[in-house]
Amino acid sequence: MPNLRKLKKLPKLDMNPMVDMAFLLVSFFMMTTTFKTDTPAEINLPDSHSKVKIPERNMATITVSKDGRIFFGIDNKFKRARMLDVISTQAEISFTEHQRNVFSLQNSFGTPLNQLGDFLEERALGNKVEQHGIPADSTQNELKKWLLASRISNPSLRYSIHADQEVPYPIIHDCIESLRDLNITRFNLITVGDDSPS
Amino acid sequence: MIPPLEEIEVERIHKRSVSDSKAEKRNVNVDMNPMVDLAFLLLTFFMLATTFSKPFAMELLVPAKPKENAVEKEIPVKESKTLSLLLLEDKLIWYNGITDPEVNEMEYQSEKIDALIKTQIIQISGLVVLIKPHEKSNYGQLVQLIDLLNQNKSKRYAITECSNFDLKLINE
Repeated sequence: MPNLRKLKKLPKLDMNPMVDMAFLLVSFFMMTTTFKTDTPAEINLPDSHSKVKIPERNMATITVSKDGRIFFGIDNKFKRARMLDVISTQAEISFTEHQRNVFSLQNSFGTPLNQLGDFLEERALGNKVEQHGIPADSTQNELKKWLLASRISNPSLRYSIHADQEVPYPIIHDCIESLRDLNITRFNLITVGDDSPS
Repeated sequence: MIPPLEEIEVERIHKRSVSDSKAEKRNVNVDMNPMVDLAFLLLTFFMLATTFSKPFAMELLVPAKPKENAVEKEIPVKESKTLSLLLLEDKLIWYNGITDPEVNEMEYQSEKIDALIKTQIIQISGLVVLIKPHEKSNYGQLVQLIDLLNQNKSKRYAITECSNFDLKLINE
């Protein structure tokens, strides 16, 4: 009988250690976190044993998705806006102030120049847009124009290729040739570190 | 008139003891639940938004394009010091030298390629590796090969295009 009565009483649990733990984890994640960047397509990076850290600022990234579409992006919001200005004077396409603002918020983009305006309008409405990639072949090399514009907007940019491991080589060749044409002879290939001991 | 220092001190101590006893009497019970809720919310958010596999960069140096009006000033390399690696989708063709070489073929396996590079480095000092990716090879293979070269501390390599001779080899 006394046992039953005891059970009815609400058991008191000390939650403090759990809460301590939770806060510890929160602070840990807050310190160590690097946010997932919004990549336009899923990229399965190749492995390597390289241990070189990727610079955090002044980064220009050429992203190549598995199906061979090329995207381009630079890291600073203001530099992006300036890059668009350069491109619009060079290619003689005008953009509205609103489109310019939207462009400065895009991590990367992959549309041919003539579709960029429409793309920005769609993005302004928050829609996901199917992008066809920046043309980079020898007949019509828009990637080179963007590279040049990015160089003008930020001369200290460092370039890197962020490509899926299944991308056919000729597309990578186009990217490397575009970089070489602009005398960018030192760039990074982004890979996933392989932690296994070598 | 200003009271002497001791009196001020006494007053202060007195006052404090009064306020302290007041605070003790009032039992402050703060509800911690919202704070803890928020902590867990943040915790889940950070756990979901974080990436752990940090990517690393692999530096690649390519030669600058020669200027049109510039005089070619290429440094010749001895043919015998070169190792050409033809990257195909499922196999690797390799040979030493350029004119009339002895052509070898191997499966695409990183251990085998590693062994090949190691023996070549020992046999030939000042080895120059020419990487010739074929159209059908992919980026992953190229990166893997460069990585193997880097690991073996082979500093001199170049990515070049397939010559006619190479294309003939591939078609055979």
